[in-house]
Amino acid sequence: MTSIAVPPSAPEHTGSRLTRVLGAATAVSWVVWLTYGLVLSPADVVQSESVRLFYLHVPLALSAYLGFTVTLVGSILVLRKNSAFWDQMAGAGAEVGLVLAGLVLVTGALWGRPTWGTYWVWDPRITATTLLFLVYLGYLVVRRLDLDAEVRARRAAVFGIVAFINVPITRYSVQIWNSLHQEATLSLTDTEMDGSQLTSFALGAIAMALFTTWLIIHRFRVGWLEYELDRSGLESAILERRGERTATEVV
Amino acid sequence: MTDHHDEGATSGDELDLRPRTDATDTTPPTRRRSWGAYALLGLVGVAIVAVLGIALTQATVFFYNVDEALERQAELGDDTFRMQGSVVTETEVRDDGALLFTIGFDGEQADIVHVGDEPSDLFEVGIPVVVQGRWETDGHFLSEQILVKHSETYEAENQDRLDDAYDGADG
Repeated sequence: MTSIAVPPSAPEHTGSRLTRVLGAATAVSWVVWLTYGLVLSPADVVQSESVRLFYLHVPLALSAYLGFTVTLVGSILVLRKNSAFWDQMAGAGAEVGLVLAGLVLVTGALWGRPTWGTYWVWDPRITATTLLFLVYLGYLVVRRLDLDAEVRARRAAVFGIVAFINVPITRYSVQIWNSLHQEATLSLTDTEMDGSQLTSFALGAIAMALFTTWLIIHRFRVGWLEYELDRSGLESAILERRGERTATEVV
Repeated sequence: MTDHHDEGATSGDELDLRPRTDATDTTPPTRRRSWGAYALLGLVGVAIVAVLGIALTQATVFFYNVDEALERQAELGDDTFRMQGSVVTETEVRDDGALLFTIGFDGEQADIVHVGDEPSDLFEVGIPVVVQGRWETDGHFLSEQILVKHSETYEAENQDRLDDAYDGADG
């Protein structure tokens, strides 16, 4: 059996004061959001109750973009600074972003059935979001290739930068092409939404962004511990062999 | 095997850092895991190419507006395509169950005969729809699928009463 060397400075968990405060803020924001968005706010004149999926679907999409932006920034810094820290951060952003993008597709399908009349259709927005999901899935697979750690990090970083091109394409696909998906409801100059609905959406966006940030930090810390474990394992092995050789020389 | 082991033997002050083999270690070889990752990457690549193919053939021209579809009627022939417009007439139900209605866009109108599944509950006069089907020789559009295209406008039920309540609270 191979003994696992645990770094002496390794914490017992990935929590900290920052994540505890962030976690509490996330919990409170989710309670407020779900209570107002799902119970207190009125239904939509046209969509009726299914409008409430909008309060989940769009914040999920925005938070997925947040995760992929973390991957972009991390990837750039990996190439500039050769930083293991930012490599782990880029991976954490992509993992969380990928899960959220998957949920965007699921909630979109659930909204599509009562509204459009179908769960799925290959319109520009759905096609672009599916591509986005697959490209970041590919990015995560690249991170698991059996390569030298530094080479793997640099290849993943290039992938992480190129993959981000899909984010603005997805975001603006409804304006670039004829799409079944409606155009953006919210913009800085014009918002086609009543006050109570806008409040529900804003609460959702804040709650999901807090949750996403909390998740990324925890996932980053897990990744960092794995990295430290690998490194300390190698150092332990070197020390062990030095000890063996010294013992042999003494004998 | 011994020769192989000796090839990497170290001399002088160098430390032997080669991995050791352990007969009791049942962990699958690293190379096998690596092939799995490459195979998965290949599958993802195939999926990306397939979706890109869909994007280039279907998604970029998801529909023509009614005026464009009328303009291209001869070119489209009996090809299946999608057409978008707002419902401008009440729907009639023919004896065989087909739905008859008219959609319009930018001043142009097209008569639709729909023989597919029922549209969603949101289907009504004034709402934009995307119909999938083909032109018939008599000039009407034979539809197999109706997709209701929701606009970007959202309006809460009883928003005016909510606004009044807030105004009353302020006053």
